Amino acid sequence: MPEKIPRSVAVLSSVPLNLLLNGVLIIPFIIMIYLAFIKWSPLMGIEWWRAPFAGISNFQRAFSDSRFIDSLGRTVLFTAIVVPLEFFIGLILAYILQKPIKGRKYLISILIYPLMLPPVVVATVFYLFFQPYGPVNNIFLRYIMGPSALDIYWFLNPSLAFITIIIADVWQWTPFMFLILYSGLSAVPRRLVEAAEVLGASGWTIFWRIRLPLIRQLIMVALILRSLEAFKVFDYIYVMTGGGPGTSTESVSLYIYRLAILYSDISYAAAVSLIVLVIILLVSRFAIRFLLERR
Amino acid sequence: MVRNYISNILLWLILVVAIIWTLIPVIWMISLSFKPYGEWRTPSLLPQKPTLDNYIMLFWPKSASVFIAYTALLEPITDSLIRSLIVSVLATLIAVIIGFFTAYGASRYNSPGPFTLFFTLLTRMLPPATFVTPIVIYYTTLNLLDNIIGLVLLYSATTVTYAIWILKGFIDAIPVEWEEAALIEGAKPLQVIFRVVIPLARPGLVVSGLFVFLMSWTELLFALVLTRINITLPVQISMYVTAVGALWGVQAAAALLGSLIPMIVGYLIQRHLITGFTFGLVRG
Repeated sequence: MPEKIPRSVAVLSSVPLNLLLNGVLIIPFIIMIYLAFIKWSPLMGIEWWRAPFAGISNFQRAFSDSRFIDSLGRTVLFTAIVVPLEFFIGLILAYILQKPIKGRKYLISILIYPLMLPPVVVATVFYLFFQPYGPVNNIFLRYIMGPSALDIYWFLNPSLAFITIIIADVWQWTPFMFLILYSGLSAVPRRLVEAAEVLGASGWTIFWRIRLPLIRQLIMVALILRSLEAFKVFDYIYVMTGGGPGTSTESVSLYIYRLAILYSDISYAAAVSLIVLVIILLVSRFAIRFLLERR
Repeated sequence: MVRNYISNILLWLILVVAIIWTLIPVIWMISLSFKPYGEWRTPSLLPQKPTLDNYIMLFWPKSASVFIAYTALLEPITDSLIRSLIVSVLATLIAVIIGFFTAYGASRYNSPGPFTLFFTLLTRMLPPATFVTPIVIYYTTLNLLDNIIGLVLLYSATTVTYAIWILKGFIDAIPVEWEEAALIEGAKPLQVIFRVVIPLARPGLVVSGLFVFLMSWTELLFALVLTRINITLPVQISMYVTAVGALWGVQAAAALLGSLIPMIVGYLIQRHLITGFTFGLVRG
């Protein structure tokens, strides 16, 4: 490509995006940073711009807040479990469905159906699923374990409750990985695949050596975007366990939601979010650098 | 041969398990949506006394006799359905068009620069709950509260990240030589984009458009806070359980109904996922 960027491309590729981001998000973002450094809550009865400065006390409070630290660790664990699971299942399915199977269109429509439901509905469905008298215990486990299956209280045991959340997330978001990988693999030029076939490469080799490397950029994008979303996990926990028993399944997002909306502690919630933001940046900096580098 | 046979069976087995795993909650939801009020807590897979009450309640909330006490709050679902459709379609168009040009600039040149690109990722890192208050403050001054234009802008600004990065992944995989060839033959840069890149990036356009559409279609928290009367579909769906008592059967019916439109869209776009590179652009 020519080294110098044509003017039409330069304008189209930066002006609309900057208008959108600056018009909608920059000012709220600045307000949020400001809120983190003042002491304000809507319950105080004063406007936010009149609230006193709090310096870094909101941040100091966060570092000695064990509920925050615990929820952070839990969210990291959650992300580290669900993202690889969803990626590998999605990849296997995307590989299988590259083959011209009869009725593939319908199979794909079924596989991506979970994406069509609002997460809050999925959460409600799994909440009802894992009730002690719900279908999981009463229909599925009863066959395996007998009547004692009815005594499993999924939401009263921290580990079991955590597993139900993982199940709900994997159910809904594996199709995301599948769809990105499937469409990426389908877009690999047939010419390259045919050339390799002529040279005698097996389907497996073509997949690993030609198709996957070609979409490595897309794989990285999928992993990063999915990780960022998984880190914000909220609906499933809010509906299914409410963070319980106790606060044993509370995620960072749920804690922040409660701080901001239930306890009206807006300033502290903003400070916690900024800390979370910085942590995500530190953890993901290599991945993000990989993305931002021009090939 | 035997090895091939075994691996084929294994692949089929995985596929069948995946399909069943996906379908079980859906089938159960369908059954729930036909169960009458008293059966919602029963685990049975089939309704004992199937009823259409839940669906009737969606369209004529005031006529479904059992629920009258709850439904004074609720409008027919068609209002929020149409509103959600408008919001999602507009947000998708804005995000995909802006996302495509940004992704092209980022893939082939160094525009709009790493900082802006980085900021797009930043927008997906913030837990939405904290962003709610600043957005409300900002939208109050702009007079955009309870306005679907406000939602369209917010959705396109927060989902453009997906459009940019997914499209960049696709554009990166397109061989640069084909564009260079067109440029050498005297095509203008915009002609190259419209004649060469867009046809080749079609699977990316389709899949990123689908994601943006689905994210706008299912987004709840911002819509919940930013709208009062002009609610979107997810808000209405959630209200059947939160605002008016646990009407699970009605919620299941609403969610199934709400998934019809994206399902049709998802089915129709599938052929565009595959045909991206099959036409003879570069011969031999």
